[in-house]
Amino acid sequence: MVSPIFIIAAGLGTAFLLGLLRDEWRAAAYGLTLAALAGTAAIAGGWLWAFAIDGAAPVEILTAGTPAPFAINLRLGLPEAALLLLANLTGLLSAVYLKDTLSHLGRRAMAVLLIIVMAMGGIILTRDLFNLFVFFELIVISTGGLILLSAERHALGAGFKYLIVSQLITILLLIGIIFAYHAAGTLNIDGMAAASLVMLKGGSLAFFLIFIAVVAELKPVPANGWALDIYEAAHPAFSAIFSAAVASASLFAVDKLLLIGGPAWLPVATAIGIISFVASNLLALPQTNDRRMLGYSSVGQVGLILTVLGQRDILGDSTLFIAGGILFSHAVAKAGLFWLSGLVAGRNLQDWSALRGQPLLIFAFVTFLAMLSGLPPFPGFYAKWELIHLLAGHGRLVLLALILFGALLEAGYLFRWFGYIIKGEQPTEVIVPARHKLSVAMIAALAGWALGYLWGGLSAHNNLLQTLPLLFALGFLLLEWLPAWIKNSLAIAGLVAWFILGYPGYDPLQLIFATIMLLGGALILMASYHAQGRRVGFYPSAMLMYAGLAMLIVAKDSFNFFAAWELLTVGSYFLILRGKHSEPHALSYIVFSLGGAFLILAGFALAAQGNSQFSIEALRQVAQPLAPWVFVLLAIGFMTKTAAIGLHIWLPGAHAEAETDVSPMVSGILLKAGLFGLFMLLMHMGKQQLYGVELTHVLMWIGALSALIGNLLAIFQEDAKRLLAYSSIGQMGYALFGLAMMNHLGWLMALMFVINHYIYKSMLFLSVGGIAKRTGTRLMYKMGGLITLMPLSFIAVLIGIIAMSGVPPLSGFGGRWIFYNAIMTAEYRLPMILIFLSGPIAFLYLFRLIHTIFLGQLKDEHRKIKEAPFWILLPQFIYVVCLMVFALVPGLALRRVDAYISQFFPQGALNWEGLTITSDYGYWSPVSIMVVVGVIFMTLFAWLLFVNRKAQKVKQFNIVFAGERPFRPETTHFAWNFFAPYRKALGFLTQPLVTGFWETLTDLLHTAADVARRFYTGNAQIYAIHFLAFVVVLFLLSRGV
Amino acid sequence: MAHIALATGFILILIGLYGALTNRNILRMIVSFTVADTGVNLVIVAVGYLRGRTAPILDATLPAAEAAARIIDPVPQALVLTAIVIGVGITALMLAYAYKLHETKGSLDIADYRELKW
Amino acid sequence: MIKRFTVLLLLAGVGTLFAGLLLGYSPDGELNATARYYADHTAPDIGAANIVTAIIVTYRGLDTLGEVTVLFLTAAIVGLVLARGRRRTRTEQRELPPSGELLTTGSRLLVPLILLLGVYVFVNGHLTPGGGFQGGAILASAILLMLLTDPLRRFSHRLISALESTSGLVFVGIGLLGVFFAGGFLDNRILPIGNLGSLFSAGVIPVIYSFIGLKVGAEFSSMLVSLSETEDS
Repeated sequence: MVSPIFIIAAGLGTAFLLGLLRDEWRAAAYGLTLAALAGTAAIAGGWLWAFAIDGAAPVEILTAGTPAPFAINLRLGLPEAALLLLANLTGLLSAVYLKDTLSHLGRRAMAVLLIIVMAMGGIILTRDLFNLFVFFELIVISTGGLILLSAERHALGAGFKYLIVSQLITILLLIGIIFAYHAAGTLNIDGMAAASLVMLKGGSLAFFLIFIAVVAELKPVPANGWALDIYEAAHPAFSAIFSAAVASASLFAVDKLLLIGGPAWLPVATAIGIISFVASNLLALPQTNDRRMLGYSSVGQVGLILTVLGQRDILGDSTLFIAGGILFSHAVAKAGLFWLSGLVAGRNLQDWSALRGQPLLIFAFVTFLAMLSGLPPFPGFYAKWELIHLLAGHGRLVLLALILFGALLEAGYLFRWFGYIIKGEQPTEVIVPARHKLSVAMIAALAGWALGYLWGGLSAHNNLLQTLPLLFALGFLLLEWLPAWIKNSLAIAGLVAWFILGYPGYDPLQLIFATIMLLGGALILMASYHAQGRRVGFYPSAMLMYAGLAMLIVAKDSFNFFAAWELLTVGSYFLILRGKHSEPHALSYIVFSLGGAFLILAGFALAAQGNSQFSIEALRQVAQPLAPWVFVLLAIGFMTKTAAIGLHIWLPGAHAEAETDVSPMVSGILLKAGLFGLFMLLMHMGKQQLYGVELTHVLMWIGALSALIGNLLAIFQEDAKRLLAYSSIGQMGYALFGLAMMNHLGWLMALMFVINHYIYKSMLFLSVGGIAKRTGTRLMYKMGGLITLMPLSFIAVLIGIIAMSGVPPLSGFGGRWIFYNAIMTAEYRLPMILIFLSGPIAFLYLFRLIHTIFLGQLKDEHRKIKEAPFWILLPQFIYVVCLMVFALVPGLALRRVDAYISQFFPQGALNWEGLTITSDYGYWSPVSIMVVVGVIFMTLFAWLLFVNRKAQKVKQFNIVFAGERPFRPETTHFAWNFFAPYRKALGFLTQPLVTGFWETLTDLLHTAADVARRFYTGNAQIYAIHFLAFVVVLFLLSRGV
Repeated sequence: MAHIALATGFILILIGLYGALTNRNILRMIVSFTVADTGVNLVIVAVGYLRGRTAPILDATLPAAEAAARIIDPVPQALVLTAIVIGVGITALMLAYAYKLHETKGSLDIADYRELKW
Repeated sequence: MIKRFTVLLLLAGVGTLFAGLLLGYSPDGELNATARYYADHTAPDIGAANIVTAIIVTYRGLDTLGEVTVLFLTAAIVGLVLARGRRRTRTEQRELPPSGELLTTGSRLLVPLILLLGVYVFVNGHLTPGGGFQGGAILASAILLMLLTDPLRRFSHRLISALESTSGLVFVGIGLLGVFFAGGFLDNRILPIGNLGSLFSAGVIPVIYSFIGLKVGAEFSSMLVSLSETEDS
């Protein structure tokens, strides 16, 4: 192996050598620079290989031929090698990226770049305190130089602010070092640790100074105003180095110091870290400048890693895995994003819409986004999982909550940013990235995936990048060049094949969900054949969601369950975002979902008590008093997906604005993931009490209120898809109610709703989507009289609403029948009455779908429209058939489930004899009902035809409300504000209180952040004062402790 | 002796910091920092001082065998050299920055350079 | 006013911290282990009469390498910063008043002497107080004197830059020779350590220190020249 001293010698030597070249030989100088960086990176890579693969032991490198404490020594082990590789590769890629700038500025700039990379190597390698200081100063000075690479005018001011603060840091560091030397009699870090410096006289004060000075290099809030200005003003390629590599090296330096400081200083590191993490993510919320926002995010991520280092007392051997996972995710993603920002001309977040139409760049962006948010399959995900479990296991719950809160804030602004890219205003200019810059960004993205694979392999869990469904979904990324119909066929084949493969292994409950999610998904995908072109981005997103769903239902342990949950969340987010006006709704969807996911994570972690391998079955054994808390966390988490009242505000917009074939997916299928989670939860944890309150009782109330409010809100909608969306909230309320009853019939009813809701909601969304496609509007009062033009859609909607309203003979009635039987058995009467009331309300809105859309007068502009496209109609009629079959022989699905539920609730099972089903309260014979209703229907229909023979056609006219001046054209339509009297009577129930609550909350956060960030006045002296105040306050606090 | 030197060094640092944080003129700030740097260097040297001993240079009057008993601590002296050189480097860099800043805006008032904030 | 008060308050806090250090400080009666090692081992192992020099160039040679890099870096950045501005040519500048007889004659007399002193200081760095940094600074002061005498005087950037680069390369190169021919990076014993107190002793230390002297002299000169060339007149 090449001695690591060559990493330092080669960097320095090349920097000196550049001085010998003629100023004109810039190409040669540039080539030399790249060669040196590549060489040092290769050395680091070779060592990393040796440590990781060959299991080599760490090496000590002595200088001056003198043993360690007396001369400076270096140490190279696995973490050092990994960090060296990171630093050198970042340097190399940034140098490639900076080709033009460096060639323009000449060899001196290249020398500075080489030296900063070398200095990072020094910080990582050295075991001598003063030597550490020297390398830090090299970084300070070269930062001062590299800031000037930027074309930004204000870069100079930012650099000067940095120099001022670093003067203060230098003073403290030097005083600290000399007194530490005096106390310990050595400058060697290991020597100081062995002498337990902080115990010696004067040692703890000296250590305080050293520690605070090195921590200041991590830009902790609030002593970091200068850093943000640098991020905003510096050249992005330098920011990439500054954020990814310099911060990593500094973190490693802090890690070395913590070795000296010992356990007493771990809480200090934790406190500084977590404050930085939460505060800077909060402060990032109101930012509009991309680079400044990335700066805040960098500070936050580094704070998180510092927190992890501070928790090493409980993290133990996992520290490296966790800190490394977060660090490398941060480094790769942040460097990548800074490199991307160099391709975007404008500095406003909205200007990033310039990326649109560049699939490669968007792929890179999404990769970085997912890495930063800690989504699977990237290292941050595995790290977060371990971290949260260990924290929960040791009862550090406040810290756990703060970490998850900060992570949610970060995900919030990152996903908002992504929304701007996909849905922002059309870019004015198309960016044509230079090839070398594009390759740099792409290398970072690929490195991200490679790291994901690596961390998956290192983790004790399933390597997600080896799971077939996920790979299948990702495979579509490579097939994006194919036309949509081929991809669609592949997707359908994949779903069906996966179902067939899994079929033997499913238990009846899983079978029902698998049928709906996989076969049902394939069915909805048939509607996607109508799409033309390549439909870039649709298939990877959709298949990601299906992959998550497929993995969710077979997950045996909490890790796989949670990973699947996150995958399906992300996939569905991308799907929802595809709608024309769905940006804000997609954002609230992802924020609610991730918030819910974090609660689920916390719940699992709490349940597992530090054991990161935790099978779902083991939820049964969770001990008191933990169990109810676990129950609450998981239940709220799952209810964000079922959009229970209070957590529902994302749903209407998300479902309504989605594309025609996406709405049924996210409504008919995705909502069931939440129900599946609730099934699992209740099945394993059963009834729980918290402070004497029966939690299932609370769920029952939530279910009943969701049903009532969801239905009420639905009747006042003008938008047909929003109407259906609100109705989903109500339907999920029924299902939740049924589940929460915790008895046989309740669960059977919930399962009926799972099946029925999938069928009729998918069908209705498709029909309404088809109509909206033809008429160009979703507002019902703009339609009318379509029955003659779109008869097939009419039939589908008619059958759909018959099924949904639960009147005989269709399967909805079966649902109702079980439902009424079930609520008779409920222990609580009041919610029962509520849910009973909400039934008739459903008629009010369902009836409008037929009445307003298909009956009445045809609009002039609609005279020439055609029936909905064939591919949208086809699945609808398959659903019609399903409804009929299911109505006739409900036992097909329910019988086995009924038996399955009997395991949990032996009481109250139904009796399946022949075609008749008997409960304690009565019997249901689907076939006879079908016959009876069919006869009645035919009779009435015949009579109607007979009577209507002589009916006249009515000419079109408007009914204008008397005495009202029609300011807006829609007010003249009879179907607008159709239920005005009800609104007068019941409107108070539909006040957007919940929306108001969440809006106030986010406003509050934004306002707080907006006020707080004024703290960073931009004045260099004020920044210096901040730093001093940070030092003094910490000093006083540490005295107090 | 050592205490007096240390106290002087600390006072110089505080004076320097006061100057650097209250003067808005960039050049005065830089000069203030050099005062503080001097204080730091004084502190470093003072810490290595041992009462009644001599400089760590071997010659006829100080044979190698007696060195351990008669010299002061050489390490801080070595460190202070590095500290001085680095201080010079940063001062030079700040001066170059000050020059450029003045060139862009014609002002040496630090409060004029706060376009980047929040 | 509020700012001054805040600063005073904070400095009072820092002062308390310093006071804690001061009050907790008790001078050593004996050398600590590290210093004792240097006192005992410098003469036999390194062969330098000046123990501080042995520490600077050999024991803590990596620091010193960093140190010369700091200067190299500063010189490069100062050059970079100032080169981006307007570079005035000689003709554009208005005539300066002559520097006066005393200064001109004095500098003619002193410059060679200063250069000589500088060289003496770094060549004898391992024997007497002084060394490469001090010697280099003295060399640069000669350049300063020349610039004071004739502010418009121009020096060859190429020469200065070649000098500093070569010295830097030699430093790194000698350091690496230590890896192959002695105990490790920057080990001075690739040359015989000779007799304590003679000029050719202490192995490669005088060589390194001479190159450091040249390098430091070149770098300080480079900064001075860069600053003087951009001077508004």
